[in-house]
Amino acid sequence: MRLSIARWFLPPAALLAGWTAAVLAADAPAAVTSPATTAAAAARPPPNPTCTPEGGFTFADPIGDDDGPGTYKYPTDPVYKPGSFDMTEFQVLPQGNQVEFRVSVRSRIEDPWDSPAWGGNGFSVQMAFIFIDTDHKAGSGVLDGLPGLNIRFAPDEAWDKVVIISPQPATRVNSEVSQKCPQWKSRIIVPRITRAQGRTLVAVVDKSQLGGDPSPNWGYQVVMQSNEGFPAKTDLLTRKVNEFEGQHRFGGGTDYDNDPHVIDILVPPNGDPVKKQHEILSKYNKAATTDVKPEDLAVVPMVYPCAK
Amino acid sequence: MQRPNIRALVAAVALSALSGSARADNLNFDASGQIYMKYMYQNNNTQGCLSMSNPFWVDTIQGSNGACAEALLTIQAKIGPKVSAGMVIQSRWGALWQDWWENGDLKPGVYDTSGASLGMDHAAYMKLRSAWIRFGPPIPTVEWITVGSTDFSMWNAWTVGKARYIDRFNGDGVFVEGSIIPNNLFTYTIGAMALPKLWAGPGWQTGLKDSDPLAALYGTDWDFAVKLGTRPTRDLRFTLIGSLAKDWEADRYSPMLTGPPNAARGANHSVGLVTRFTGANASLEGVYTPSSAEWISITGLFAGSSNYVNPAYATNEVLNGQGFSPVVFKTDKYGNPIASNGLAGTLLVEVFDPFDIGLSARFQYFNIGAEYNAIMGARREADVLITSGIIGGGFTRAGQLPTLNVANEFQDFDEPWYEACIGWNGITAILEFVKGPLKLTGEYTFIGYNTNMQNRDVKTQYPDFLYTNGFTDTTAFTADADYANVYDRGKDPRSVYAQNQDRQTHIAVLTAQYLLPVLPGGVLNLMGKYIHDQDLRIISNPNDNYVGTSWLGFISLTLQPLPELKTTIGYEYTHWYEQGREGNEQSGYSPATTIRDTVQGGIAYAWGGVIFSYTLQYFWKDLLRTPPAYYNMNWNVWRSKATIEVAF
Repeated sequence: MRLSIARWFLPPAALLAGWTAAVLAADAPAAVTSPATTAAAAARPPPNPTCTPEGGFTFADPIGDDDGPGTYKYPTDPVYKPGSFDMTEFQVLPQGNQVEFRVSVRSRIEDPWDSPAWGGNGFSVQMAFIFIDTDHKAGSGVLDGLPGLNIRFAPDEAWDKVVIISPQPATRVNSEVSQKCPQWKSRIIVPRITRAQGRTLVAVVDKSQLGGDPSPNWGYQVVMQSNEGFPAKTDLLTRKVNEFEGQHRFGGGTDYDNDPHVIDILVPPNGDPVKKQHEILSKYNKAATTDVKPEDLAVVPMVYPCAK
Repeated sequence: MQRPNIRALVAAVALSALSGSARADNLNFDASGQIYMKYMYQNNNTQGCLSMSNPFWVDTIQGSNGACAEALLTIQAKIGPKVSAGMVIQSRWGALWQDWWENGDLKPGVYDTSGASLGMDHAAYMKLRSAWIRFGPPIPTVEWITVGSTDFSMWNAWTVGKARYIDRFNGDGVFVEGSIIPNNLFTYTIGAMALPKLWAGPGWQTGLKDSDPLAALYGTDWDFAVKLGTRPTRDLRFTLIGSLAKDWEADRYSPMLTGPPNAARGANHSVGLVTRFTGANASLEGVYTPSSAEWISITGLFAGSSNYVNPAYATNEVLNGQGFSPVVFKTDKYGNPIASNGLAGTLLVEVFDPFDIGLSARFQYFNIGAEYNAIMGARREADVLITSGIIGGGFTRAGQLPTLNVANEFQDFDEPWYEACIGWNGITAILEFVKGPLKLTGEYTFIGYNTNMQNRDVKTQYPDFLYTNGFTDTTAFTADADYANVYDRGKDPRSVYAQNQDRQTHIAVLTAQYLLPVLPGGVLNLMGKYIHDQDLRIISNPNDNYVGTSWLGFISLTLQPLPELKTTIGYEYTHWYEQGREGNEQSGYSPATTIRDTVQGGIAYAWGGVIFSYTLQYFWKDLLRTPPAYYNMNWNVWRSKATIEVAF
């Protein structure tokens, strides 16, 4: 009888063991250490940015670093497909009187919540913020991140403009800006048009909104987030990161507003970009659970891809 | 009724914040709320706040002239580090201002001077919409266990689909999520869900003694499902989902159900169960997104279904319900009930701007078996094919679903329509070009039909939904007071079987979107669509052919005069010529021509947390038919819908 039972259970057990071994072998770093080490080992350093004289460029971001400080997990609902927030490339393309910003991720951008029904832009889940430093000077620009991101910038890398790529209709984004950060309204750009194309979020902005032609000396920071239709009072349409992931909540952070609510960012070239990102986003005051001050938040750097 | 923002709320907030609060309130729970109001007007004589309700029972919610409000309250709490719980309380609308004075104790037939006193039906009472507990016990491989309300979103449209808005959270279940190999390399989800008493089964129910006298034990009806996910490499992932819907009834031959309970009869004080309906579905999906070639993505899906109905416990609606049935009542050549089985597959290849010139492409091959049917699949709010389909238009968004259970009801005139794609076998190619302010798309789709057959048994086995031919006019569908739009219904979107069919369809669509350089926020959208739909019906009879050709032209202009204000105005022209649309084999068929002009304008305003929208539509439609067998008709319809909502 015992042998008979074994006959039933052995094949599936062997199959599972074989499959496990195959998976572990195929993704070996992921199974042996922390997610941070996993991503770092799996990532490849991005190539050097390619720049054009008009201020355009292409900047690659490593894959597998869609885990914020190295611990973040996606929400559990199936709409958050693997790679949905894993930025792979950022492009700035000046064309005529407009500039096209393109943020690519490692998954086709879908519209599971039928954004046309709420006047949206053809996608549902992703959201990206493009912070721009136009002068690279201390004492100029804004040090605080936008509400809900829980990040800040260094004094000499303060942002002067920010482009919001959101699936929400422009009217809604403008309304949220008026409500939650009116002091920066003149610096916040809601694109003329926002759309998804394949794996890329595309935003078209008038050069006049940027204050002129893009300069090769400008600095950029792209922050990947997720669209939240009903955000908390302190959040600008951003999805929260909690200690544990939920159906529509990121996990791996804290239940407070001290941890950076960003999933992927750009990091300056040279070195291990994934390790850098994890270090940058890990530097926040974990003891600040109430009355979180700006100095408690992680400082994210600007990237100056074409500056000489 | 299905409001996108409420849906977004329910999806993104109510069930979502299970992992705890980000605010340190004095109370040990967080509460959030929403108020939603809708005002509707149409030049007809109906009163209510829903363009289209359910045709089956008489209700008081359908109508095109009314003002309705709805309130929603979500409460959620974190009990411990890995224990959370929550609930949603939501009001139903239906109350008029004079109903405030009602106490709900009047009954039908009682003389009532208020004009409308139907008790709770007009009370706008609060309802427990959902309740759940979620915890992560220290059991090996188990990450989360959720007990309570669900929207079924963890499965897919081919097996157990995400519930449409009105059904969301009605179902309760138990769900276990876990990971066998860390880092999501091998995950599992196991679920047991109570079947909804209505819609999931033969006769759109799981046993009601009034309609199926032998079937009334719906408390034992369950759907079991399992999902396995694996990522053998970073670029490749597989998802296997299987579901089993079981509708059991008390065995009519059980000793305890027959005869007196005496010892001599041998009754053992137990009642056996017998199957009324069994539905089994499985799908295996693979997604390949190579890191070394980020410009390509390949998605393949293979699925199978098996549906068995026990006619001893379920009324044959094909035979007794004019062919309106969500399941096939299949029999063998001896007339014995057997399972209806089907396979399905899709292959999607997406190429994202490979030449870096803004040109992308998507190709999909689809082959859905003639008897594939996901009884618990998505009824709407999902789309398994990339084609715009047959029923989509300029103002009408559309989707395709592999179920006879498609539900184009409980919705307003501005909401999407869905059609069953069972039996579809063909290809879709979509090219997309994006360059700065310009976006162009072109689609070609060919649909052959695995359901093509001569002399199919639509009397006792295969449901035909009575209306098997003709373009479905989704715009005019609610123009008449009658839900069924009996004067010009066209094809029922659920109809995939006809007695005699030899059909093929060609669809071509061109769209353009241009960002206007001068006007504030100006966006111009253009669309042209052509459909050639041919059905030879009885192949040997050249005089009964159906040939439908449809041309559609659409233009809309969007402006944003203020940062918080957007306006849109558009026009759609539709012209159909349908040879052999009206009639039958005995009396012959005659043609029909349909011309419809639709103008629609709208505004959307968002300020300080208030979201307001208003849509005004006018359409004029001529239906020209061949006299003397039929008469011409026209429609002259004004209708509008205003909504306002706040969340707090």
